[in-house]
Amino acid sequence: MQKVTVIGAGSWGTTLADVLGSNGHEVLLWARSEERCAEINEQHTNSRYLPGFDLSPNITATSDLERACGHSHWILLVVPSHGLRQCARDMGGFLSGEHMIVHATKGIEQQSFRRMSQVLREETSVRKIGVLSGPNLAREIMRRQPAGTLVASKYREVLERSQALLHSPTFRVYTGSDVVGAEVGGAFKNIVAVAAGVVDQLGMGDNTRALLLTRGLNEMAHVGAAMGANVLTFGGLAGIGDLMCTCASPLSRNHQVGERLARGQSLEQIRAEMHMVAEGVKTARSTFQFAAHHSLDLPIVRAVHAVIYEQRPVVEVIQDLMALPASHELVELSW
Amino acid sequence: MRREDQDRALVEVTSRVVDSFVRGAEGREGHLEGVLSDTLYHEGLRLERADPSDPATRAYRELYGRVRRELGSASPSRQKELLTEITRQYCEEVLGNFDERVYRIATSVLPHGLSALLKGASLRRVANMDILLRRGLQEYVSVEGEVDHVRALMDRGTLLVTPTHGSNLDSPVLGYAIYLMGVPPLTYGAGLNLFDNPVLSFFMSNLGAYKVDRRKQAKLYKAVLKEYSTCALEMGYHSLFFPGGTRSRSGEVERKLKKGLLGTAVRAYTNNLQAGRSKPDIFVVPTTINYKLVLESETLIEDHLKEVGKARFIISDDEFSRPRRVLNFMSNLFSLDARIVVRFGKPLDVFGNPVDLEGRSLDPKGRVVDPRGYVSRNGVPVRDDQRDQQYTNELADVIGASFGRDNVVMSTNVLGFVLNNLLQRANPGMDPYRLLRSGGVQDSFPMAEVHAEVQRVLGAIDALADPPSLEAVVARGDVPDIVNDALKHFAIYHTHDAAERCGDRVFHHDRKLLLFYGNRLRGYDLGRSLAADR
Repeated sequence: MQKVTVIGAGSWGTTLADVLGSNGHEVLLWARSEERCAEINEQHTNSRYLPGFDLSPNITATSDLERACGHSHWILLVVPSHGLRQCARDMGGFLSGEHMIVHATKGIEQQSFRRMSQVLREETSVRKIGVLSGPNLAREIMRRQPAGTLVASKYREVLERSQALLHSPTFRVYTGSDVVGAEVGGAFKNIVAVAAGVVDQLGMGDNTRALLLTRGLNEMAHVGAAMGANVLTFGGLAGIGDLMCTCASPLSRNHQVGERLARGQSLEQIRAEMHMVAEGVKTARSTFQFAAHHSLDLPIVRAVHAVIYEQRPVVEVIQDLMALPASHELVELSW
Repeated sequence: MRREDQDRALVEVTSRVVDSFVRGAEGREGHLEGVLSDTLYHEGLRLERADPSDPATRAYRELYGRVRRELGSASPSRQKELLTEITRQYCEEVLGNFDERVYRIATSVLPHGLSALLKGASLRRVANMDILLRRGLQEYVSVEGEVDHVRALMDRGTLLVTPTHGSNLDSPVLGYAIYLMGVPPLTYGAGLNLFDNPVLSFFMSNLGAYKVDRRKQAKLYKAVLKEYSTCALEMGYHSLFFPGGTRSRSGEVERKLKKGLLGTAVRAYTNNLQAGRSKPDIFVVPTTINYKLVLESETLIEDHLKEVGKARFIISDDEFSRPRRVLNFMSNLFSLDARIVVRFGKPLDVFGNPVDLEGRSLDPKGRVVDPRGYVSRNGVPVRDDQRDQQYTNELADVIGASFGRDNVVMSTNVLGFVLNNLLQRANPGMDPYRLLRSGGVQDSFPMAEVHAEVQRVLGAIDALADPPSLEAVVARGDVPDIVNDALKHFAIYHTHDAAERCGDRVFHHDRKLLLFYGNRLRGYDLGRSLAADR
């Protein structure tokens, strides 16, 4: 039994805290809201994010960030990508070189196009940084349905420790050294999920979806390679694994955005009705810019961008895609 | 290294190297024998070409002959003894070049030595000698950047200066810069070929240099060198590594650094903590050494083009080994008042964090961090090679970024870069090697075109988020001045003028040299903003 810290009590943070708690570890879970802390401490539930689930009694919640960082040297950081920089900055004063941070945040910082591990490096003194990413729907993991994930870090110490803490009979934790690949996979799949929503809404078939996913994976790999990833990572849990999972789930917000786009809604309408912007919408724009800067031709990204930001009709965009010449499948980067 | 440290280092280095090989051999049958065979193999190749009358060659032949005869039947403990014997021999050789007297008098001899060199340089030009004597040396080597910061740290821990490497003059120039700052001589391993130049060989040993025999390729020998530099750092000897490993052949500022020697910094720091030493800190000082003209540029760029990507490790017959060429170079350089600029970057801890004036590590937001945590588990310092390798990678990245910022761009770099751009634009799609050889469709460019391109390049540099430093004439931004200054310098030293003005046109004579000088501006992504600009 070891002391561990989880920062962020959303559905995924709470779920991972529960996995750790069930593995017998003494979990200190940081949540911004006092109210949520009280609920977790007194009733062992997180009704806002995981209604209907009881949490491990080994979890204690706190809203005191200094206490959370002081609780252990192993920190699992699970906050939304747009809030990660500020959160890391706030934590920075309480961290030492002995700390390890594994983040489970899928996304790329807008504008700067920084990966989350880069943001952590820019905001804190921590070097032992890792990323957890994979096909992991929180609810299924709460139900202890068999699942697997990837922890990637340059530091073997981080891998060994994270695996020892998180691995369980129903949750397999694989390790890898390709941080870039794991992060790119987790962020990029959201763009493909938007496209999958469009295709599903239009009533296109399994062939269409498989074509989209496979070519999406190809674009993911090329973006990753441009950022320094190992292409093989995309054949793993954080790549194809997460892509399949996200694109298959109609509950995913990215998928829903795609459906709405296919119904002819504009981004403004979707924003107004969904109260939040799905990650894939933002990632599509920043990846589009990244691709332009690096002279990468990414037809699917371009198509999603055209529908969201250039108000092009979906049917027309799909026709354009299908009209592109087909390339050598594995060598060239094109549709 | 002082006498008492020398003896300690000999014992320490030998036992550490032997221990690490013995540890590595645990559970691996025949491993130690493999290490010995590797040594015999590489040394055999070296000795085939060595001067047989040299006593050192004879001694090594004798030693290796004995090891070879015994190796087949040696028990593991006897193998260890043989390994120890060879290791000890290497240690003695490396250490043997240290002379206490030399180290002690280095500071007083150094400035006189350099004056003598410079006087020698100007013997044939009496006027220059007068200037030299009148102005003193300070006029010729400019030291800038974080000088006070470095000075403030030298008594708080051990300095590890990590400069860019563009010329064999780097070590004497840096040694002199360090002397001007009042910092004791730096310990460093210099290739044997550097000692071939009779004038400068004198300096090398005075600068705290020990001889590194690059012809010795055996793993064992390299391990000794690495462990020796670790020990020197631990003993508090301020040290010098060139993290680029070898002189930049292309003229570019190094971005990819060798991690091997650099890794000794984390190791020495951890050892210091484990031994409970009172001043465990090691401060890494990225430094750039900047020349308006590079002594060996012709040889270096030739070598770069010959083997792009695979730099030859040893060049033994370049300009540096011809004393007259060196003297001529310096005298010409000084006649134009071309300073060599040594620029010290922000000092770092061994993990790449900046440190403040008191040597405390700072996080990216300027908060004080205790660096001991990086190598500790539950508060206890522990060794972890895989971890330390990653720390060293990160340190190397930070040093590389620092090089980029502290690179002092000279007029010659700007003109070289500009003429290269114009050449490429005038000859679209031409094979770069052919372009270098033939010069393409036109042998010159109108001055107005050159000026316009200089203006654009200056604008592009200005627009960079992380721009390099600029020498005064470039920083002032007067375009005709910059071009004239560069042309003036190109005219004084090289066998062929790299570029020359004739009427209102600039002729490109030696495009390889232009490439070499222009390369100093590569790696900043200037091409992209220039393209966008067009």
